[in-house]
Amino acid sequence: MNILKTFMRRLGSLIVTLVVMSVVIFVLVEIMPGDVAEMILGQSATPESLEALREARGLNDPIYQRYARWAGGILQGDLGESIYMRGVAINSILWRRVGHSVLLAFTAFIIFVPLSIFFGVLAGVKAKKLTDSIISFFGLATMALPEFVSGVFLIGLFAVQLRVFPIVSIIPIGESIFSNLNILILPALSITFVMFGYISRMQRSSMILVLNSDYIRAATLKGMPYKYVIFRHALKNALLPTITIIGMNMGWLFGGLIVVETLFAFPGMGSLLMTAIRTRDVPLIEACVLLITAIFAISTLVTDMLYGLLNPRIRYQGDAQ
Amino acid sequence: MKYILYQLKRSPLAILGIAILLFWIFLAIFGPSLTPFTHTEMDSLHQMAAPGVNNHVLGTDSLGRDLLTRIIVGSRSILTVALLTSIASTFFGIIVGFSAGYFGGAIDRAVLRMLDIMMAIPPLVLAMVVLGVLGGSSIMSLSLIVSIAFIPATARVSRGSLLTCKSSEYVDAARIRGESHLYIMFVEILPNTIGPIIVEATARFAYSIMMVASLGFLGVGLQPPTPDWGMMVIENRPIITDAPWAVFYPALAIASLVISISLFSDFVSKVLIHEQ
Repeated sequence: MNILKTFMRRLGSLIVTLVVMSVVIFVLVEIMPGDVAEMILGQSATPESLEALREARGLNDPIYQRYARWAGGILQGDLGESIYMRGVAINSILWRRVGHSVLLAFTAFIIFVPLSIFFGVLAGVKAKKLTDSIISFFGLATMALPEFVSGVFLIGLFAVQLRVFPIVSIIPIGESIFSNLNILILPALSITFVMFGYISRMQRSSMILVLNSDYIRAATLKGMPYKYVIFRHALKNALLPTITIIGMNMGWLFGGLIVVETLFAFPGMGSLLMTAIRTRDVPLIEACVLLITAIFAISTLVTDMLYGLLNPRIRYQGDAQ
Repeated sequence: MKYILYQLKRSPLAILGIAILLFWIFLAIFGPSLTPFTHTEMDSLHQMAAPGVNNHVLGTDSLGRDLLTRIIVGSRSILTVALLTSIASTFFGIIVGFSAGYFGGAIDRAVLRMLDIMMAIPPLVLAMVVLGVLGGSSIMSLSLIVSIAFIPATARVSRGSLLTCKSSEYVDAARIRGESHLYIMFVEILPNTIGPIIVEATARFAYSIMMVASLGFLGVGLQPPTPDWGMMVIENRPIITDAPWAVFYPALAIASLVISISLFSDFVSKVLIHEQ
């Protein structure tokens, strides 16, 4: 019951956040230097035709009217038209790209989550030994590298030297991403590198904390097999902080996606946003940024709720109130 | 001081980090006068030259520009921007975090709410969109915008460390003496909470380098002809099979600088947190 109430409250604040962000994004992009009408018609357009276009598209209206029209469109599922791509509906380009990005993020996710939890647990169990030092240093080093730096080294090794993966992640025209799954591997590994450091570090310290607690000592003294204690008792409790860290790093994951997609020329949402910024495509920038904000906010909400559901202490505390 | 030296002796990684960091600072200050080339000079006979050819220690890029010189000149701008950013974001963080935590109540709630909203957008995306929209970044605008993107993080740290000693006796004593709010915040509380704030600032320095390099890579950082490490990686990306050095050396420069600062920052946190 209580969880439902918390959920509703969080959902309310999420909606407020999105509304405020939509205003900020809109105002920010609208004050951008440059004239939309001139961008559409080109430098050689006559002042009369520019003025006619401004009038037709409602560019002369006050900013709040334009915002209302834009926001109204979004609520009805209409994200507007791209300027750079000559009036193509954003809906028809964006969602395919989002699909690609989600697939990339998901691939990265199923690589880095088990990998970093496993090595984090290993480092925690072997704390202060050589294994721990190696894992911790590797984590610290990869965490410090921006995605494109580790990506460049991965390209150098796997694409230039060994030639096992393609150098760029381009989908040939007319083919779908599912027939080109090998283009996902190097970008996903670049993201894994950064995430690995954060998550394995967190897993290590929470594992050490749990292993030093009384109930683990009790379980060990009872004569339970060591493996059983680690996996059944310790890991279950040590996973909680890790889940929060994974959720908190979702923001980095999205930033990282943009960088990685640019490096590999991967046709996702991030490289679309980059193109939009480079070509000063106002409606497309607005749509992309709003979408990233929404996905990020929702993933934070899901993490928080998941944490509440998994942690009995928070769950029962909530019920008692 | 003795304690710092004692800790330093016990952590070889910290020594390595500090050594690399000093190396880069040295290069940034004196480097440009040590190389025979300038960062825009094009050696038209030696394009994509391998390291060592015609005095190009690290080779040249597709336009025949000397990579070593460009990396050295680029170290100046990235170190300057990152330093300014970590100082400015810590400063803004202290102002915002302290005023929220000190006054509490409605102000605290309002500030926290605002930070939550700012956090709804990933810092890299925020900085990238703002810089892309404004166009033509300079060292000042780049530092300012990245520091603003970092405020939610630094303000939380400052607020948290203020709250831990807000109810101490010396704060009450100062209040009874009739000291002003500003005096209590900055003369009484700040010196006592400086440890975690300094640790955060050194970590912020590493984040700033990553962020500035990523922004340069995305093409919204410092504009040409100023060489930018991140930009060097993406502009030489198409020739990675023919001249891999043109991509790897700038990437290696970023990697070594960020890792050295992380090691340094880990050491600072070890020293400062043990001292308390």
